[in-house]
Amino acid sequence: MSDLKSDIKQLIIDALGLEDISISDIGDEQTLFGEGLGLDSVDALELGLAIQKTYGIKIDADAKDTRNHFSNVASLAAFVTAKQAA
Amino acid sequence: MDRCPLSHQGSLQGRDETPVINFNIAAWRAWAPGLDSVADWQAWSQQPSVPAASDAAPDVSFLPAMQRRRLSRMARMAFSVGWPLAQGHEGLPLVFASRHGETPRTFDILSDLAADQPLSPTQFSLSVHNAVIGLWSIMRGETSEMTALAAAGDGLEHGLIEACALLNEGAPAVLLIITEEQPPQAYARWIDDVPFPYAVGLLLTPGKQWQVSLTSAATATGSAKAPWPHALNLLRHLHDGQASFQHVWNNRVWNWQHSL
Repeated sequence: MSDLKSDIKQLIIDALGLEDISISDIGDEQTLFGEGLGLDSVDALELGLAIQKTYGIKIDADAKDTRNHFSNVASLAAFVTAKQAA
Repeated sequence: MDRCPLSHQGSLQGRDETPVINFNIAAWRAWAPGLDSVADWQAWSQQPSVPAASDAAPDVSFLPAMQRRRLSRMARMAFSVGWPLAQGHEGLPLVFASRHGETPRTFDILSDLAADQPLSPTQFSLSVHNAVIGLWSIMRGETSEMTALAAAGDGLEHGLIEACALLNEGAPAVLLIITEEQPPQAYARWIDDVPFPYAVGLLLTPGKQWQVSLTSAATATGSAKAPWPHALNLLRHLHDGQASFQHVWNNRVWNWQHSL
């Protein structure tokens, strides 16, 4: 699980071109969008695509809880783990 | 103060039905791989050549990291020449001209499509021709008129017509940016007018130092094409002091006059 979190952090950095940020700069519980890391709506789409490609899972953009899954790295890791187990 | 010189000639109409525009070039900036400073371009103007192929991109560290991270090299070139020219100018209209636009992005998108892969939302949103002026507007908080043109090889002159129309409407200055990115190799058979990636920025003000008129050539394809893309050829003439020269594209002959 902790490896998965690191992987997701690296994915965020690579997919979104965060050249000045390293894995250690992103907290597990740090808010990704708006406040916190300061990502925007285009980032949300790009990150969703990267997660789907990397982990071979489907994300329903219209599902109510999708927003919650994307709130921080910990919630994303839990979401990916649950989806892969399903 | 000759604030609105175009109106003297009745907008774009010259006396003998030859369209004429006139303007001053208050300042300019240019960038290409290995060519950045005024001295670099002076040297290039005297002995123009194609710089070694390079992935180098200009420094845009004046932009916050979160804002510059999505900028392609073409956008970085446009910002690097435009940003210093725009300093101190409130409400500066922008005319952006590029014939081929973001060909690396569009090629990536088309490659993903061909491979049945989902498209990158970032690539898609920034591949459109007015993406650079949109980013410019957001990053500078600039709400003046902005235009993105894709003309033929004479985008410089078409951009100047647009800019002069804005000067004629009362803008105290207009920024014109001409830029081309090196197209992906796959396009090499069709795109032969980008010897190397470049951007040229011109800060234009009302005046009569420069006059450009348009006449028609008898033949459809001018045999006397400019040796370099028009914007780069203009850079040469900014340095050589030549009073008049021509840029020919298809049957369009642009007659440039420079009075000091």
